[in-house]
Amino acid sequence: TTMSTLVVLHTFLIFSPIFATSAWSVNNFLMTGPKAYLTYSASVAVGAQSGIEECKYQFTWERWNCPEHTIQLASQKGLRSATRETSFVHAVSSAGVMYTLTKNCSMGDFDNCGCDESRNGKVGGRGWVWGGCSDNVEFGERISKLFVDGLETGQDARALMNLHNNEAGRLAVKSTMKRTCKCHGVSGSCSVQTCWLQLADFRDIGNHLKVKHDQALKLEMDKKKIRSGNSADNKGAIVDIFGSVARTELVFLEDSPDYCLKNGSLALQGTEGRECLQSGKNLSQWEKRSCRRLCIECGLKVEERRIESISSCNCKFHWCCTVKCEQCKHVVTKHYCSKREKPSSNSHPRRKTRGQNR
Amino acid sequence: MYMATASFSNRVGQAVEKSCSSISLLTFPAPKPTSSLPSLAVKCIDVQKGHHSSKWFLPWGKDQCESLKGFDEASSRLIVANDIVFAVHIPFIGHEMSPWFQFMLIILQLDIAFQFRNEIEENAMLTLDVAMAYRDGLNDPWTEMARSVEQRKLKCVLPVPKTQANEGHNYDCDLLPLLELGSVAHKYYLLNIKLPVNDQKKINLGIGEIKDLRLVTIFQNGGFTQVWFAMKTFLTPSILIIMIWYWRRITMMTRPPVLLEKVIFALGISMTFINIPVEWFSIGFNWTWMLLFGDIRQGIFYAVLLSFWIIFCGEHMMVPLVAQFTCSCCREGRESLRDNSADLPDLALITSFYDQAERNRISVYWKQVGPIAFGSCCLFIFDMCERGVQLTNPFYSIWTTDIGAELAMAFIIVAGICACLYFLFLCFMVFQVFRNISGKRSTLPAMSKARRLHYEGLIFRFRFLMIITLACAALTVIFFITTQISEGNWKWGEVTIELNSAFFTGVYGMWNLYVFALMFLYAPSHKNYGEDQSNGCTGSGSGEELQLTTTIANIDGPTEVYRLAGKESQE
Repeated sequence: TTMSTLVVLHTFLIFSPIFATSAWSVNNFLMTGPKAYLTYSASVAVGAQSGIEECKYQFTWERWNCPEHTIQLASQKGLRSATRETSFVHAVSSAGVMYTLTKNCSMGDFDNCGCDESRNGKVGGRGWVWGGCSDNVEFGERISKLFVDGLETGQDARALMNLHNNEAGRLAVKSTMKRTCKCHGVSGSCSVQTCWLQLADFRDIGNHLKVKHDQALKLEMDKKKIRSGNSADNKGAIVDIFGSVARTELVFLEDSPDYCLKNGSLALQGTEGRECLQSGKNLSQWEKRSCRRLCIECGLKVEERRIESISSCNCKFHWCCTVKCEQCKHVVTKHYCSKREKPSSNSHPRRKTRGQNR
Repeated sequence: MYMATASFSNRVGQAVEKSCSSISLLTFPAPKPTSSLPSLAVKCIDVQKGHHSSKWFLPWGKDQCESLKGFDEASSRLIVANDIVFAVHIPFIGHEMSPWFQFMLIILQLDIAFQFRNEIEENAMLTLDVAMAYRDGLNDPWTEMARSVEQRKLKCVLPVPKTQANEGHNYDCDLLPLLELGSVAHKYYLLNIKLPVNDQKKINLGIGEIKDLRLVTIFQNGGFTQVWFAMKTFLTPSILIIMIWYWRRITMMTRPPVLLEKVIFALGISMTFINIPVEWFSIGFNWTWMLLFGDIRQGIFYAVLLSFWIIFCGEHMMVPLVAQFTCSCCREGRESLRDNSADLPDLALITSFYDQAERNRISVYWKQVGPIAFGSCCLFIFDMCERGVQLTNPFYSIWTTDIGAELAMAFIIVAGICACLYFLFLCFMVFQVFRNISGKRSTLPAMSKARRLHYEGLIFRFRFLMIITLACAALTVIFFITTQISEGNWKWGEVTIELNSAFFTGVYGMWNLYVFALMFLYAPSHKNYGEDQSNGCTGSGSGEELQLTTTIANIDGPTEVYRLAGKESQE
C-alpha cells in the first residue's frame, strides 16, 4: 500500500499542471491547499489498490490473473497494451478509487465532501439547511475523475479507450447502488418515506465489471489513423467511434496475447505453476473447469500435490478481533499446472483460443 | 333546478380555481421534504481500563480519537471487541444542525461479512451500548443527552450462495431503527456506540464478523419546513374565518343545530387544529413531543372525516323518506302530507315523527362510528407506546422485543379490521342511498314541481359530495402511488418539481379546500328562515309548500340550493 501511495503521489506531482488547468473549481483547491490533496491521494491510493485486489479475485481462475505489473494507472512508461484485460483493470481501478473516496467521505475524512454548496446555488450554510446535502457518491465520482482521468495525457485512441473504461467503472459503482427506504409517517406508516442510495459491496461491482469484461467490445481502428492521431480530423473520427459505444460498456482495441505462454517481452508469466481447482464442494462450474482451462488447454498437465498444513480450527469468534482456536493438522490436496515430461506425440494440444464463446 | 345548480356550481368553480392556483404556487419553491445523511462510523479504540469513564470519542477534528482503519489491524495489536467504540458525529465537518429540521431519525446498518467459520446465528440479537451527546459550540464540552443499552434483532440474508468463494461477501441486513428525536434543538450531535461482548451472559455472540457500522440520519429539509409553515399560516385564517361564518349561520336559526351541521363544524375544528402552526414554537423551544402531537392531530382529523362520511350518507338515506316537523307544526304538517299522498307513494314509510330527534343523536350511528373510535384508540395507544416512550428514551422502539412487537402488531391489526368494517358499512350505506335515489327518480315526474325540485336538490347535493370526495380520495391515492414509484423530481421546462413536496403540499391543500367547500356550500341559509317558520305553523300558503319548507328548514336548514328552489316554487 505504501508503495502505491508513493506512486500516486508521484504521479500527482508530475501531473499537477492538469489539475491547475482543470475546469473543476480550481479555487477550492487553492483555498484548501496541498494538505487536502494529501488526504485525497491517500484515499486514491487505497482505492486503486482495492480495485487491483478485486481484479485478482475476479481473475483467480483465469489464464491471465491480474499480475501486479498491470497496474498502469500510475506508471506511464509501463507496457501500454489496449487489450480486453487492460479495459477491466482501468475500470475496476477507477471504480475502486470512487468507492473508497465515497466511503471515506461518509466517515467525515474530508471537509465539505458530501455537502456541495454549488448544488442549491446558495453559498454557505443556507443551502444545507434549505435542501440538505448531495450524495457522497457524486463527490467520489468527481475526485476519482480528477485523479484517475488526469493520468491520461494522450489524445490518441488508447487514451480515449482508457478514459472510456474509467468512466464505465465509475458508472458501475453508480448502477450497482442499492436503494433503501425508511417509512416514517403517522405512527411509522409509509405515508412519508425517505429513500437513499447506498454503495453495494465492492464484490458486486467487481462481478458487474467482470460481466462487462466478458461482453467487452472491440473497436476496429485504422492503425494509420491512430498513429497520425494528432490531426484534428482523425481525432474527431476516433471520438465519434467512442461516442457510438454505450458509456457503460468496456471497450478494447487489441486482441489479447496468448496468456498460456511465458512471454518476456510482454512480461507474461504463463500458466505454468498456477494452482487450479478440480474437485470439492461448493464450487461453481467456472471454478471446476479451471484446471482444464489453465493447464490442459494450455498444453500442460495437472499435477496433484498433497500438502500437510497446520491451521486453526474449532474457533470461537467475537464480532471482531478475538479468535480462540485450536490447532489442527490437515492434509490438503492441491492441483497445479506443470509441464508434461515429454512432449506428447500430438504436437498441437487441444487448445482453444481465447474468445467470446463461453 | 337549473338555476340552483348553476349558482351552486359557480361557487364551487370559483373556490376550486382559487385554491388550485394557490396550491401549485406553493409547491414550486419547496425542496424535497426530507434529507438523508449517510455516515460511516469511525472505529475508535478505548484504551482505558474498565471503560467506565464518561469520555466521549470524536471521529475527527480536535480531540480526535485513536482509530482503526480495519479490524485486521486490531488482532495484531491485541485489541478486543470491548475496546472498540464506534463514533459518529452529526452532521459533517463545517455544517450545523438546525431547528428547522424538525425531527431526526437515525437508522443503523451493519456490514457483516459472511465467513463459514463465523456465520450469523438464527435469531441473533444485537446488544448496543449507545450514548448520545450534544453541544452548541465547537469548543463547548459535550453534554450527555441519552444513554441506554438497547437490543435489536438481527435479520440478515446472504444474497449469494454460501460457497467458499463468496466468503467475505456482505449480508443484506434489515434496517435497524436506532433513535428518533422530535426536535433538533442543538447544532452538533455525537453518538458513541459499543457492542459489548460477554461470553458468560451470551451477549453479542453469533452476530458474524462486523466490518463496518453505518448510520443514516433522516431529517426534514429546512426549506420544506418553511414552505409548510407558510402554508399552514396561510390556511389557518381561511378555515377559521369560514368556520366562524358557518357557525354564525347556524346560530342565526331558531332551532338547535342538527347532527350533520355539528359534524361539519367538528370537521372544521379538527382541520383548524391541524392547521394552527404551533410548529413555529419548535424553532425557539426544544419541544420533543411535536412528532407525537402531530400524530394525534392527524388522527383526530381522520376520525372526524370518516365519521362525517357515514353521517352524511345516513342523513341522505332517510331524508327523502321521512319528513320531520317541529312539534308545534306536527299536526298541520301531517295533514299536509296526507293531502299530498298522491305525490308520495312511500308515505307509509313515514311513521314516526320522532325519527328526527332520534337521528340527531350520534348514537344512532354507533355501529359505524364505533369502529372508527375503536380503531383510532388502538392507533393512539400504539403511538403512545412508541413515540410516547421515545420522549423519555429516544432509543426505544416497541418492535425490538417479541412481546412489544406482538402487541404493536395486534393494535395495528385491530385498527385494520376496524377500517375494513368501516368501509364495508360505508359502501353499504352509499349503495343504499343510490338505490334510494334511483327509486325516487322514477317517481319524480309524478310529483309537483316544488317537491320534485326538493328531491332533485337532495340528489344533486349528495351526488356532488360523492364526486368531490371520490375525486379527492382518488387524487390522494394517485399522488401517493406516483411518489412511491418515481422517487425524485419531474422536470417541466425550466422548473423542477419535487414530486414528494408537491404531493404533501398538494394533498394537504386539497383536503383543506374540501373542508372549506363543505362549510361554504352546506351552510344553512339565513334568509327566509323566520318567514318560513311562521308561515309553516300558521298554515298560510298551500299545504305542499308548507311541508316542503318545513322539511328543508328542519333537516339541515335550507341551503342556498333549497332557498332558491323554494323561492322559485313559491313564485
